[in-house]
Amino acid sequence: MEEGRAERRRRTEAPSHTQGGPRRAGVMTDVHRRFLQLLMTHGVLEEWDVRRLQKHCYRVHDRTAAVEELEDFINNINSVLESLYIEIKKGATEDDGRPVYALVNLATTSVSKMASDFAENELDLFRKALELIIDSETGFASSTNILNLVDQLKGKKMRKKEAEQVLQKFVQNKWLIEKEGEFTLHSRAILEMEQYIRETYPDAVKICNICHSLLIQGQSCETCGIRMHLPCVAKYFQSNSEPRCPHCNDYWPHEIPVFDPEKEREAATSRATKRSLRSRQH
Amino acid sequence: MLQKPRSRGRPNSQAERERDWGRGAAEEAPSTSRGAGSSQEARSASSQGSRRAEASPEVGPRSQQQLELKVAELVQFLLIKDQKKIPIKRTDILKHVIGDYKDIFPDLLKLAAERLEYVFGYKLVELEPKSNTYILINTLEPVEEDAEVRGDQGTPTTGLLMIVLGLIFMKGNTIKETEVWDFLRRLGVYPTKKHLVFGDPKKLITEEFVRQRYLEYRRIPHTDPVDYELQWGPRTNLETSKMKVLKFVAKVHNQDPKDWPAQYCEALADEEARARPETSGPAPSS
Repeated sequence: MEEGRAERRRRTEAPSHTQGGPRRAGVMTDVHRRFLQLLMTHGVLEEWDVRRLQKHCYRVHDRTAAVEELEDFINNINSVLESLYIEIKKGATEDDGRPVYALVNLATTSVSKMASDFAENELDLFRKALELIIDSETGFASSTNILNLVDQLKGKKMRKKEAEQVLQKFVQNKWLIEKEGEFTLHSRAILEMEQYIRETYPDAVKICNICHSLLIQGQSCETCGIRMHLPCVAKYFQSNSEPRCPHCNDYWPHEIPVFDPEKEREAATSRATKRSLRSRQH
Repeated sequence: MLQKPRSRGRPNSQAERERDWGRGAAEEAPSTSRGAGSSQEARSASSQGSRRAEASPEVGPRSQQQLELKVAELVQFLLIKDQKKIPIKRTDILKHVIGDYKDIFPDLLKLAAERLEYVFGYKLVELEPKSNTYILINTLEPVEEDAEVRGDQGTPTTGLLMIVLGLIFMKGNTIKETEVWDFLRRLGVYPTKKHLVFGDPKKLITEEFVRQRYLEYRRIPHTDPVDYELQWGPRTNLETSKMKVLKFVAKVHNQDPKDWPAQYCEALADEEARARPETSGPAPSS
């Protein structure tokens, strides 16, 4: 039944245009398809949620099979997605290093997820906020500073009151995070827009000295200026009583954060129960 | 200090907005290791000599990579548009994605449809023959537990829409709006009262579901006060079936579909009609 359909699909596949070379793309089954479909309903998803989703898809389509190791599972899907210039990208939250996943567009083409949900002036407001965030020392832009740019927006004129609501919309859709009246990028935006940001703001963009990915929030060496994500700091200086800058060897002037994996798991499971209760309402 | 993204001129403001946002410094050259191959279609030679300042900067046959990228853009576009459940117009596809590649539009669409089905399990289908609007049909059966792992509401396969679809079918494929509310009132759903789950039920049924083409909503002439009739829309026939809806109704009543012999016969006939080989394939006829 299910296998037959997957079989048939494999046979009818092989669109010749994807054969760029001898590299073999993985094989899609209904397990992978359902996984992709449901993953797409989330802008960004935490790892334990992704594992739950994966298990669900196996349960629906292939109860007897062993659940493939998540990394291999995702790599398999990514090899198929490659010809579509999208991939399931893994990242981490900047404040506490939780692994997160998002389906991102690799080619910065004109079709963007944000463009379809927001009006021209709203997109421009986001762009303004993005620029302020990238330029800032802390990775945060204050609500006041963002709202002061409302007059410069392209498209329909927007009032500050309206702009406040648009900023909240960005928070709800997981493009921005708000903390005490200041805004920074959500891990979703970082994952989806890293390439765009690096290409568009090559001089202002900050990179982590340890993982070499885009850095919005982090710690910096006061002597030589290199920067590191908080989770990267935690890992690098783990149980090091005399933390020193990896670049200039000066004493690292900041408090080294400690991330407790046990606490993370507890927090994660309590989030899970809250969410499943909510989804059962309808 | 901060570089502004380069935006290529396009006569239309929405496309410009999308480009301005997404393009940035990189145009058609994503960071893949594959180099530009040679063109695969003889037809693309027609683009030779057409010098337009827009999409493709090069004149001449399009490379393998450019074609692949176009298909990728098209797949993205269709996925994003379908998420809103609004049928996708061919004119929108041509305007926002295809552009200069208009001459090979049917091939691009066919390739995109193949990828959509193989990779995501979505079938690209024309809403009605010759309508030049498309929707995506899920080839995977939705499952109740999906609701627990999705990030959005999902399509209302059970819920208010199913109830209305059931009502329409059981009443002989057409029903008056007043009859719908007479029934829904019993479930605590009113046209004028805000509902905890459905929000504005009247707007949902007479506007949202209609726009998504699940329902058709027509005024009945010479009625006073004005009354409307509701029927299944073209999307319903593509996404579900009379038998599935009958089974749903039966389940709600804790009975067997055969307990409604007239409807059961009709549903069976519908199943048979569906089982017959399709006369037209899912790919559009240019």
